[in-house]
Amino acid sequence: MLPQSSLTTVAFTNSAVRRKSVCFLKKCSFSSQKTINNKITRKSIVTPFPPLTQPVPNLPKAVYATAKEEHQITKVTVLSNGLKVASENRFGQFCTVGVLLDSGPRYEVAYPHGISHFLEKLAFGSTTTYENKDQIMLALEKHGGICDCQASRDTFVYAASAERRGLDTVVQILGDIVLRPQITQEEINAARQMIKFELESLLTRPEQEPILMDMIHAAAYRNNTLGLPKICPKENVDHIDRKILFEYLKCHYTPHRMVVAGVGVEHEDLVSAVQKYFVEEKSIWEKGEEGQVQNDSVGKHLNIVDTSIAQYTGGYILEECNVPVYAGPSGLPELSHVVIGLEGCSHQDSNFVAMCVLNMMMGGGNSFSAGGPGKGMYTRLYTNVLNRYHWLYSATAYNHAYADTGLFYIHASCTPSHVRDMVEVIVHEMVTMTNNITDNELARAKKQLQSMLLMNLEQRPVVFEDIGRQVLATGSRKRPEYFIKAIDEISKDDVKNVARRLLKSPPSVAARGEVRAVPTIRDIQTGLIDEQGRLPGSRGRLSLFR
Amino acid sequence: MATRLLKVSSALRAYSNNTSLVKVPKQWQSTSASLKEILLNQPPTQVTTLDCGMRIATEDSGAPTATVGLWIDAGSRFETDENNGVAHFMEHMAFKGTTKRSQTDLELEIENMGAHLNAYTSREQTVFYAKCLAEDVPKAVEILSDIIQNSKLGENEIERERGVILREMQEVETNLQEVVFDHLHASAYQGTPLGRTILGPTNNIKKITRNDLVQYVKQYYGPPRFILAGAGGVNHNALVELAEKHFGQMKGPVYDEIPPVLTPCRYTGSEIRVRDDSIPLAHVAIAIEGAGWADPDNIPLMVANTLMGAWDRSQGGGVNNISYLAEASAHDGLCHSYQSFNTCYQDTGLWGVYFVSDPMEIEWFIHNLQREWMRLCTSVTEKEVERAKNILKTNMLLQLDGTTAICEDIGRQMLCYNRRIPLHEFEARINSITASNIHDIGMKYIYDQCPVIAGVGPVENLPDYNTIRAGMYRLRL
Repeated sequence: MLPQSSLTTVAFTNSAVRRKSVCFLKKCSFSSQKTINNKITRKSIVTPFPPLTQPVPNLPKAVYATAKEEHQITKVTVLSNGLKVASENRFGQFCTVGVLLDSGPRYEVAYPHGISHFLEKLAFGSTTTYENKDQIMLALEKHGGICDCQASRDTFVYAASAERRGLDTVVQILGDIVLRPQITQEEINAARQMIKFELESLLTRPEQEPILMDMIHAAAYRNNTLGLPKICPKENVDHIDRKILFEYLKCHYTPHRMVVAGVGVEHEDLVSAVQKYFVEEKSIWEKGEEGQVQNDSVGKHLNIVDTSIAQYTGGYILEECNVPVYAGPSGLPELSHVVIGLEGCSHQDSNFVAMCVLNMMMGGGNSFSAGGPGKGMYTRLYTNVLNRYHWLYSATAYNHAYADTGLFYIHASCTPSHVRDMVEVIVHEMVTMTNNITDNELARAKKQLQSMLLMNLEQRPVVFEDIGRQVLATGSRKRPEYFIKAIDEISKDDVKNVARRLLKSPPSVAARGEVRAVPTIRDIQTGLIDEQGRLPGSRGRLSLFR
Repeated sequence: MATRLLKVSSALRAYSNNTSLVKVPKQWQSTSASLKEILLNQPPTQVTTLDCGMRIATEDSGAPTATVGLWIDAGSRFETDENNGVAHFMEHMAFKGTTKRSQTDLELEIENMGAHLNAYTSREQTVFYAKCLAEDVPKAVEILSDIIQNSKLGENEIERERGVILREMQEVETNLQEVVFDHLHASAYQGTPLGRTILGPTNNIKKITRNDLVQYVKQYYGPPRFILAGAGGVNHNALVELAEKHFGQMKGPVYDEIPPVLTPCRYTGSEIRVRDDSIPLAHVAIAIEGAGWADPDNIPLMVANTLMGAWDRSQGGGVNNISYLAEASAHDGLCHSYQSFNTCYQDTGLWGVYFVSDPMEIEWFIHNLQREWMRLCTSVTEKEVERAKNILKTNMLLQLDGTTAICEDIGRQMLCYNRRIPLHEFEARINSITASNIHDIGMKYIYDQCPVIAGVGPVENLPDYNTIRAGMYRLRL
């Protein structure tokens, strides 16, 4: 069949030799006794089924689902110990179930920073029921499951997706890893290795987002709550130990700070499984096996949860360093990154939706990016900034909302020689946010926000996270339809108002790379107050020709 | 909490699915023998063929968003040496304006709808799709029909796009995995259309004219070669009406003489080495000829592919690795990463492993790999096969989340199988596989067959072809 030239002959002779020797040595065969089936050729039929273009005969008749997705509702149950269970049914054979917790770097003020980083790495490790991570993986694999842990500044998410009939196992695993982890010394050592490796690779990668995220939060919320670092500081890697971790877990992993959410499950089944593994079966610290450090002098001040409200301070953090260059002939030089932030609003704020619309209107992205129309090419940061200044590599607006505050910022990067110009451009864009909002522009931003919301909710894990986070924050879930309507109702004045509100706050600035030329915070602040967004000492109006 | 959703969170989507390049749909657990009815928790896929020959396939989940797209039975395989690259060039030109709308109009219209428009070209398929709100589906179909039928193909835009494509080519060349796979195809299918690259040679990109594009469109863009696929909030009958309205009058494809028939592409066991010691790691792919899309053998080959698995250094070791190769890699540092692949075409396929390793470990990796292949052919156990089947099903099912993934699955299956295989059938086919099926499939496709090898980088340590060929059978003493 194939033009295999002389090679076939070589092989053929060899295989003849093999046959001979097998006969000769059959009695003292060391490997498996099974003889090789030599009769199979490229023409043999080895599968009894017809080609994939034709149906397999005699299969049971399929009855398809007819329910529509909008028929689903979110059910919430509060268990006896205060734990909330929320779920929604959905198409498909898979379910996503997980635990969301009020935990994260935000609550670490009394602890050595970096605990969340450790807990993220230690997730799905050994528990009282499962000897090690492999056992958990094997148990999940039987139900076609996968699992993941993600921490943000104020929320931890432990989640697993598996076939529906694996629900009990999944909830058992989740209960175990959240309430009954062993955290052995080996696991801590492994986590230390991983964190050290991660810290190193963070410094060698051209992507600056994780570092800048920490920097801008540290500038905006100096030494309090959301300003605490998510990335474990180098000096704490060897300092954080089992005792500290258990003390933290004991205080923060309590039922009333916890939501178990599920998508694609029957609510009653989920509630009874949660009752079994989260309520009846006690946590490792309640059992008294761990965390017996109450009398310890360290234990005392650790024994409280930080409930303070986030204090937005504004601030200025510069790190002069070399940012690694993208590999390959991408043509990108070394870049300098600047983030300028303002105090936004919480997700419970009445201005929250307007803030999201404003964020969408600013939009932005990279100057070189793949993909067809629809990536936001007519947002302000594209039309006013990226399309106009060739030296800018990226400019993107972000809006982070938390329970009691929010942070709105623009992240931009450019060649080092234009850092000062870049800051001027960004400040100018921020000041003029309120100017000349056209009807088209607003309608587009609103529509894009709506479609983005709905498109993200196509995915089961996103629905899971949405349910979990909303129930954790408010005890109930607002349906997407609520937000769609709220977005519809946003007017030009609403957007102008939030923009004005933003500009009243002191700025937060974070910069990394070759950033000596970044103006001082006082200059940036003056620029933000100026009607034209002009910085003191700038060389006149921004112009292409200079 | 809506902002959380705006930062596309990837809680569980990060799961890598390198092992299976073949995607298949969701399914329900089925017992093969039962003749009962079986409940599928999924909407049915409806298919209609129009008079003009166009096929429409939808899965209506009633969601508030939808993906609709055109799957075209055309790609770089249908090109000649002279116009290689034209299919991909055409994909680029589609968004550059039509006789009805300028490029800016098109972009603004899409952006104002909050929609996304995208396209890609492979060796056998060209795809244009739009993701939008359910109420905008009629508009999206109209736009798709406009960019397909009335593309302006302005000379200025063509000139500008040449530069863009050449730049894209530079980018592809920095991705060594793509480079290795292009070499693998060039070697395995030498002298046939599948051996050519999708982007085409630089010379062609520089000289492709408007006329080449028009000729290509005339020959290959026509309703009989189109699948209009839809998923999410799409009503089947409404979509059929839309298709009739916008594509019903479309003529074509126009053939010069007789319609082109798919010429079989010959596989050649061979090798290609691009030694470059300035690259730190060796990138090597080794494969044998697999089965075409519709071949029933594809299912056991997919299971065998899952048995080989995938691994990279960030994963670490441990018993949860399905394959011995992954364990050996973790334990002995054989490579930095490897992944098995099963790339299918209409009448042929490539089944093998791609790996990245330190220069001096290549030989060891190949040795271990071939030992695994031989074990696959002779003594892989029932337990391993069961586990692989489970993982394969999971991978396939988890992929189908979201309207775009489902739409893509519908479009591809309609082109490859001319139907959408129901979930329970796929499940039945996978469930039927036993260890002895895997042994047989190994004997048929792997054992004593000539492999194709492509190596890029410091590949001095890559054993010569005859040595590797000699590892394709086993001498047992």
